Amino acid sequence: MTASPILMRGVSKRFDSKPILDGLDWEVGQGQVIGLLGRNGAGKSTLMECLLGLRETDGGSITLFGESPVALSDATRARIGYVPQKSDLFEWMTPLQLLAYFKALYPRWNDARVEGLLARWGFDLPLRHTPIRRLSGGEQQRLSIIRALGHEPELLVLDEPVSALDPAGRRDFLVELIDGVIERGTTVVFSTHILTDLERVALDVAFLKDGRIALQGDLGDLLDGAASEAGQGVHTPRSLEELFIEVTR
Amino acid sequence: MSLPTPQLFSIVAGSAEPIYRQLVDQVRRLVAGRQLVPGDTLPSVREVALQLAVNPMTVSKAYGLLELEGVLERRRGIGMVVAAHTGNTGDPGDRAALLRPTLERAAREARELELDPATVLSLFTQILKESA
Repeated sequence: MTASPILMRGVSKRFDSKPILDGLDWEVGQGQVIGLLGRNGAGKSTLMECLLGLRETDGGSITLFGESPVALSDATRARIGYVPQKSDLFEWMTPLQLLAYFKALYPRWNDARVEGLLARWGFDLPLRHTPIRRLSGGEQQRLSIIRALGHEPELLVLDEPVSALDPAGRRDFLVELIDGVIERGTTVVFSTHILTDLERVALDVAFLKDGRIALQGDLGDLLDGAASEAGQGVHTPRSLEELFIEVTR
Repeated sequence: MSLPTPQLFSIVAGSAEPIYRQLVDQVRRLVAGRQLVPGDTLPSVREVALQLAVNPMTVSKAYGLLELEGVLERRRGIGMVVAAHTGNTGDPGDRAALLRPTLERAAREARELELDPATVLSLFTQILKESA
């Protein structure tokens, strides 16, 4: 029996005196594709940063594949990929320099996949040699996704990965996620406010509210359940959007 | 016989109908309306998933449910085909029942728009004539 990709028990995090995570329990199993939902400021980014060991917590325990995120072995680190909401690191590098830098950090790197993504996602030769700070928001976000996929992680954590992409770019991203990531059995956790995208790829959703996972379940069951609970002969189905409003309000 | 694969299915994300159920309903309607006949091959899970940009597990779930219902059957080396005995396809009453969820949705929206039944029915009649 292998350890869960993500296991959080009683995790707390305060900013000043305001609790953001408040005794949060969460487990994400191998191969789950789960959407993390919550209002603005609910703490989705904080949750992701804490679980990856990028922020200290005030209490509770977290393990990634059975290891503490603040003391990950290199082998386990190589199993994890992360796309932050906004990254302003490495802005002086060009895309090719950035990818070469990250390639050197990992034991495994799929050059063919990275090259394919660069080509499909509009990174022509001039763009590959342009400093990252001069790329558009969408180009930076696409590069960040390519960087996170290069070492073929088993756990992929995506924080608003498509916020800067147009509808065509979002669709390309979804197809890539399905084709090369979900099909390989990768565990995926991602947050987004674009519920229609989420519905296409996530099988499960988790709602973060008041510092805890308020509701988690199979997306189809949650929509079906919302429809049947309305009951009394009146069929009043709820969309994911309506469910979101109801759960997070 | 293989099907014209270009976009056999279409889905609407963000509706109250989970995606797997939209797929199930579409196959049922296509079979009931004889656009799909016994022996027809359905596109693979992977093809549908990539075409619609949905999780392959969602497509598998839909195909699995249709197999349980006896609408589809799994053939080794071929994939999913429309089953020979699909039961209720002949009866117009049964076929009409498949339209009910869509009409219920339309009826709800009509009430929300405060349209009277006569207006809605005449509009529907007109649409039926247009597409005939």
